[in-house]
Amino acid sequence: MTHLVDTVLSIVLLSILLSFGSSRLPVLIRVIGFQGIVVSIVPLLIGHNLSASGIAFNLVTLLIRGIVIPLSIYLAIKKVAIRREVEPIFGQHASMLAWLGLIAAAAFIGDRFNLPAISNHVLLMPTAIALLAGGMFVLMGHRNAIAMVLGYIMMENGIYLVGTTFSTSVHHIVEFGILLDVLAGVMIMAVILQNIKQQFDGVDTSLLRTLKE
Amino acid sequence: MVEIVFLIPFLTGIVAFVLPGKGRTLLVLTGAVHLILSLMLWTGWPEPVFPAYFAVTPEGLLSLIVISLLFFLISIYTTAYLKKSNLRSENIFTGSMLLFLSTMTMVTLSDHIMVMWIAIEATTLASAPLIFTHRTATSLEATWKYVLICSVGIALALLGSVLITLAMDVGNVHVPVSFSALTNSARQLDPLWLKAGFVFILVGYGTKMGLAPMHTWLPDAHSEAPSPASALLSGVLLNCAYLGIFKTHKIMIAAGLESFSGRILMVFGLISMLAAATFILKQTEYKRLLAYSSIENMGIIAFGTGVGGLGAYGAILCLIHHSLIKSSLFLTSGNILLAFGSRLIEDTGGLVRRMPRTFIAFFCGFIGIAGLPPFGIFIGELLIVMGAFSNGHYVGAGIFIVSLCVIFAGFTNHALKISFEGYRTAVRMEEIASMVWPQYTLLLTSLFLCFWVPDILSRTITQAVTVIGGVF
Amino acid sequence: MTISIILWFLAILLAPFFAAVILKVKAFFGGKKGPPILIHYYTIIKLFQKGSVYSTSTTLIFKLGPVISLCAAAMALMFLPLAGYRPVLSFHGDVIFIIYLLGLGRFFTIAAAMDTASPFEGMGAAREAYYSIICEATLFMILILFFMLTGDLSLAAYLSGSLPLGLWQTAGSPLLFVIIALFIVLLAENARVPVDDPATHLELTMIHEVMVLDHSGPDFGFVELGSFCKLFFYSAVVSRLIAPFNPDHPALNGCQFIAALLVVYAVVGVTESVMARYKMDKVPKFILTSFALAFFAIIVTLEFLK
Repeated sequence: MTHLVDTVLSIVLLSILLSFGSSRLPVLIRVIGFQGIVVSIVPLLIGHNLSASGIAFNLVTLLIRGIVIPLSIYLAIKKVAIRREVEPIFGQHASMLAWLGLIAAAAFIGDRFNLPAISNHVLLMPTAIALLAGGMFVLMGHRNAIAMVLGYIMMENGIYLVGTTFSTSVHHIVEFGILLDVLAGVMIMAVILQNIKQQFDGVDTSLLRTLKE
Repeated sequence: MVEIVFLIPFLTGIVAFVLPGKGRTLLVLTGAVHLILSLMLWTGWPEPVFPAYFAVTPEGLLSLIVISLLFFLISIYTTAYLKKSNLRSENIFTGSMLLFLSTMTMVTLSDHIMVMWIAIEATTLASAPLIFTHRTATSLEATWKYVLICSVGIALALLGSVLITLAMDVGNVHVPVSFSALTNSARQLDPLWLKAGFVFILVGYGTKMGLAPMHTWLPDAHSEAPSPASALLSGVLLNCAYLGIFKTHKIMIAAGLESFSGRILMVFGLISMLAAATFILKQTEYKRLLAYSSIENMGIIAFGTGVGGLGAYGAILCLIHHSLIKSSLFLTSGNILLAFGSRLIEDTGGLVRRMPRTFIAFFCGFIGIAGLPPFGIFIGELLIVMGAFSNGHYVGAGIFIVSLCVIFAGFTNHALKISFEGYRTAVRMEEIASMVWPQYTLLLTSLFLCFWVPDILSRTITQAVTVIGGVF
Repeated sequence: MTISIILWFLAILLAPFFAAVILKVKAFFGGKKGPPILIHYYTIIKLFQKGSVYSTSTTLIFKLGPVISLCAAAMALMFLPLAGYRPVLSFHGDVIFIIYLLGLGRFFTIAAAMDTASPFEGMGAAREAYYSIICEATLFMILILFFMLTGDLSLAAYLSGSLPLGLWQTAGSPLLFVIIALFIVLLAENARVPVDDPATHLELTMIHEVMVLDHSGPDFGFVELGSFCKLFFYSAVVSRLIAPFNPDHPALNGCQFIAALLVVYAVVGVTESVMARYKMDKVPKFILTSFALAFFAIIVTLEFLK
């Protein structure tokens, strides 16, 4: 099992590279969906929460994080975006080098925080940090509003990974509440996206610059 | 049961969504019921059904009573406001207001770290439709910035909360993940994780509170929302975000790390005040002016909390009085907007002649928010300065005083222009009574509290700040 | 020792055969029968029977280029442990020697191209030089990883001997990324699609062919043979990483080795058939991906080694 978890997590890290370098929205959505699925399954693979309620909770999380949220963004794209290409602010070479730096930094910081509970899964903390920082990079590196929302979702996936795999003292109900909050947040963002499209005839946030000072 | 205090507004909010036309009465009714329930909580009567998640704490109680009072008075104002300005989808507006009230109440009553997070994120989501009420391009931009920046910030606060639960695991502490339990066993928590968690929580909830440099959404959101919503956002929501930081700060103090957290709080507070001062000087819209003043006041409160002792007591006083005075100012600005039809300062003027009753509310509010006696913020700021000097933070106190002076100068400039300088005509404009006396009530409350603090109130404030180094 | 020399000769002899496998795979994807499997032998024999034409504007370098590129590729094969047997030559640090040997061959090819004073060849030479810089970065990253894993700097130690590296060993999963990175370098160094199209007829789009445009006769034969040997070298390394097994029976060993080689060549053929050649400015990004993969493998291995 150890190898499986680490292999899957290293594929997640590679998927972050794909999200940095890709310039198409459907690819980004699929990457986010994949990350959501992995992040939901990892607690089961590690061996936390193997009770019936734990498994049920993980399945529901998988459904919401891996399927419902990416699907709703995909539907929003169909309604909103005519152009599926996004122009990131950073170029592709710069993004790739940023990814390299990110992975190195995540591995370095991950070593500083040594937790006895997961000492045999060394890739957990670096992956969580990489997801968090990678999500922020996607958020700040795009002008397209939909890409920003996808970056936010990636951040939330990273935080969820930290939460479920590292600490076992939070009840399921509470985590479910957090999940519902994220879902509601994404829904509201989707609604705002549609309104932006109607108002500004596009989802480029450089049009949203009128309020200053 | 304590949870009923936020369940009732939640249910009425959903009802208001579904039944258009009943919204205004629902608002006032719910406000009244909420006020009564909050007053009952003072006597300690109901017990929480889920004690692990919800508890009645002194600081929560203070915020709750402020929220209740404000909401009740704002709801009275809103009924007249809605009559005068025809909103397209009124049921969304009233429903969101009620849901907003419900989620904010949940924040004040929550004791569990994660439940507080859920509640604060829920306030963001519940208030987003409020900002978008007028459906203009600028309000859409403000809503987008609000939702995105606050969600990202709150995500960081979630990370901070998770790190604090990690501090529990590393320190082998097995208590429920509630603020009160953690404060009691704070000495055993792992300091490294605790510090990391505090920094993330401060940055995250500080974004919601309006501390610079995460404040960029605040002027846009508070100026684009309709005035009753702005009053709620500015008067109450910032308090709720502050609660999260305050409770975490108490954990840090109980763990002996107060110099770390106090210093960071002071730095953020001073940066906020300086940022607010910069933007107030050259402001052109009066609602944005009030929003920047909110940023300044949040900076004052953060600074006071960081100073500790007398400063913490002063910070809580500033918190209460700021809510009262700022919401009255925002309601007054709603009157001004409806009368003059423009958001710019230069398009208004001569308030003393044209709308004398509104002028009284506006000018008293201005005096109060600028920190002049006889309103409460004066005493709060005085206590903070005294606390800072007695704890040896001379540089911090110096920057504090300088920024206060600069803000006072800028604000006075604009306020005088609005109140006294001439306008094209001197014809009196109509003023509805129910759009004026809520502000009067709020200002009188603040005035009243400045002179005579009821025993129970003073005891609650002291209970809230006892831990933060020193008693008044 | 003699076995190693015999295997070396066999490798040089069989290199054109394996290269024709790629042509057969591409033809299969195109629904054609394709050229005969011994096509490259016929081509080389034909070329050796012709005479060379030398331009009056060239110098000795032009004549040296093909010879040195062939010698460099052949000498690189000397260090390769074929089918698990000891290579002809091996010393500590020979990997770096091999990389620079191949670089020497590349340098003389480029020099010969520029010697002709033709603008097309200069253009191809510039592109070739640019892409190989990034490839070298990847190769050195992979070298660092192998050094960290085995503590040794000779190709024989990596691919043969007691503890060969391979996909199926304990620290094996990062090697998957190394294999992919090495495969991308193979495509770039040997002028395969998607970096360069070996079947293109337009000078403006060539990279490798345009450099050798002016060679003819036996010189061109040397160039072709050299390129087959270089492709064989890279493919042998990749196939050895995929299948590092060492069965005792020599026939079984040889069959396994040839089978793994065929797999790698077939994958090259499949890649050439399903992908189109990248725009020129996308190629650096492609090779940079291989660098990122190698770097990532290093970090993951570092994590596992702790």
